[in-house]
Formats: sequence, C-alpha cells, structure tokens
Amino acid sequence: MAGKIRQMIDSIINQRAKDNPMLERVIKTKLILKGINPAKFTLQSDDDPVVIGKLEKMMQELK
Amino acid sequence: MNIKTALSTKENVDEMVSDIAGQLEFFDAEMVLFFASSVYDPQSVSKKMQDSFPMARVLGCTTAGEIGCGKMLDGSAVAMAFTGQAVKDAKIEVVEDPRDEKAIRAAFASFESYFKVPMSEMDPSKYVGIILVDGLSGAEEGLMELIGDLTNVTFIGGSAGDDLKFSATHLYANGKSYKNGVILALLQPGVEFTFIKTQSFRNLDKTLEVTKANEEKREVLEFNGKPAAVAYAEAIGTTVEEAPKHFMHNPVGLVIEDEPYVRSPQQFKGDSMVFYCGVMEGMELSLLESTDIIGDTKKAIARAREEMGGLSAIVNFNCILRTLELKQKNLTKEYGELFSGVQAIGFSTYGEQYIGHINQTATMLAFK
Repeated sequence: MAGKIRQMIDSIINQRAKDNPMLERVIKTKLILKGINPAKFTLQSDDDPVVIGKLEKMMQELK
Repeated sequence: MNIKTALSTKENVDEMVSDIAGQLEFFDAEMVLFFASSVYDPQSVSKKMQDSFPMARVLGCTTAGEIGCGKMLDGSAVAMAFTGQAVKDAKIEVVEDPRDEKAIRAAFASFESYFKVPMSEMDPSKYVGIILVDGLSGAEEGLMELIGDLTNVTFIGGSAGDDLKFSATHLYANGKSYKNGVILALLQPGVEFTFIKTQSFRNLDKTLEVTKANEEKREVLEFNGKPAAVAYAEAIGTTVEEAPKHFMHNPVGLVIEDEPYVRSPQQFKGDSMVFYCGVMEGMELSLLESTDIIGDTKKAIARAREEMGGLSAIVNFNCILRTLELKQKNLTKEYGELFSGVQAIGFSTYGEQYIGHINQTATMLAFK
C-alpha cells in the first residue's frame, strides 16, 4: 500500500491550520521536528508503520 | 506603563527580594515573572517573592546568568511585573515530572476548565504559554511534542540553569520551589504580542543525515552511514581529535524554510556524537557556522518592533552557549544594551523552547 502518509499529513494540516498560512508553517515545523518531513511524502510513498503511528497519535490528540 | 522590570544584585536573598519589591512598589502587579541566580537559596526565594507580591501570580526559575535593565549579569535576580491590562488573565500549572504525560494532560484540562475553551480550539493570537522546565531533565523534546499536539497555542520558554554547576535547577511557582518539574503558564495578554527566534548561523550547505541514532540519549551513532564523529570532522575539514574545538562555532541544524532549529554538539562518545537536543534517524541536518549574535539579535528585535508597530517589553530565553560566546568575545555589554530601550528581562538557559526544543538560540516573547 502507498500514499496513506501523505493523506494523513494533508488531513492534519487542513484540520489544524484551517487555511491559516502561519499555522500551516508551524504545523509543518512540528512535523519536521518529529522526524516527518511533509515534503518527502507523496501519494506514491510507502506506508511506513512507524510514521503512520506517529501521525495517528497526533490526530488522536486533536479529538 | 503596564509592564515594569526590576533588577537586584544584592547577595542576600532577603535583601534581594526587598530590593525587587521596592522597585515594583505602587505597581499593581497581576503577575510577576522572575529569574534568579542559583546563588539564592531556592527553598526560600520562591516563598519570599510570593510573600512580597501576595496579590499576584508569581513564577520563575534559576538561571545560568540574568538579563535585565540593559545588562547581562551573573549572581543577580531580575523580575517583570504585569498589570491586569498587560495580562488580562493567567493560570499557572506545575507538573512535578515533565515526562508524566498524564499530568501534562491534566494541566491542560485545568487550563480548559479555567478559560472555558478547549485547548485544541484556543486562538493562538489571543493566548500564549510560558514554559519553564528543569534544565537537567532531558525531557524537553517529548514535552514540547506533546504540547504541540494538544494545542495551536505557542508555548515559549527556557530550561532553567544553575550557573553551570549542572547539579540542580529549580522552578518557582505560587511560593514553592520545585526540582525536576515543569511550570506551564497560560496567559491571556491584554496587549499585542509576538515571538522572536534568533540564532546567529549561516548554512554551510553540507548535509549530515542521521542514519543511526539512539534517540533517547540524544546520541547520533552514524551520519551519512559513517561513524558520527568521523563524518562531522570530515564535514568541518578537520580531524576527529580537533573537531570538538569546533562544537560551539559549528553546530548542526534542522533547516526549515531557511530557518535553522539548532542542535548543539555536547561531546564525542567514542565514535558517536552526543547533542544537547533531540536528533532522530532520517533527519537531514545542515552544518552551520556562527555569525554575528549582536547584529542578528538587533535585526530580529527591529523586525518584531516593525511587525507590531511598537515594542514595550521582552522576555528573553537566551542559550547559555550564546552567553558563553558573548563572554568569550567580550560582547556581553553590547548584548545587554540591545534591550535597554524596552522593559526586558531574561536568563541564560540550558535549552530554549519554541515550537520544539532547540539550542544556541534566543527565544523571546515580545509585547507591544
């Protein structure tokens, strides 16, 4: 399977930044500091379970 | 004036507190933030400060040097008092173990209950968090990561120091003293505020990718598939034996949109490299070279002033490694003077917090 990470990253950014460019930058920075560089993931990227786990935790915290 | 600072160089804790209180007399303080050298007895300084400002929320920590009233000092105490106009409301929470996720969540639940807004919905332009954390805990990365997941509100702050003794740092809140903890203060400022993050480095465009790390220990085992010490020395263009002399001048950084998030090397441990800040496998770090702290800080303050259309006060969390470099270059007077035109306090930290945990940086909370 591929592309899940890109979808999750987009979902986190959309959900949290709500079209605010400043917040979008901050959230991208938070992701990079977690070791997840959004620029490195496309819809063709492999579904790395470690990265997916980190993103799932981040999504969970928002609820 | 809604924000006022005080500075005391009195050696005795009673005299110091009385000196600070005297300078802030007749000032209707809603909140008092103070930074005090570890020379003052940590058990009594918090209580005495709280007793001197009984109507205010009082918080602070120990330092590795202080900044106040246009000076950089050691062995002193600095304080900043805020009226109810400057800080409309504030809630302070102390978590006695910064690794205790449950306790951090409880602190956030307390903020939600107090301000009656979910932390996930809180407007980051209306609220700001101050974080003061034990500087020897090594827990800052996990803490900042969790806070960043829980809210969009910015928490800015520093890791407490102990005048380079590396023995014990202390946090102060509500008249008590804490070791190995974290203070989280959520503020609702009544004036406009912004953040300054400044570090003085240029990117040498040499990439060191972390290919093997012990993340828990902030230790890189391999860069670019080579032993970390060897790869770092090669990037600098020197030998492994000589490379530690370059640590302060040539740290590495995670560069995000041209902005470095600095990771400072602490030591070589065999062939591996230990940092003062978290490093993760897969991170692409850039080799950095130090530039002009005075010039860069001056520009950063000017940018903040221009952005807000004025600037009345700054709380500066300034890395101890920057302070050491300034001391080495005899520039502490010039650095202190950068803050002489505004109400400003700060301290030399064992780590800086802004979005994440960083090194060799000054993170500042600036008020209009």
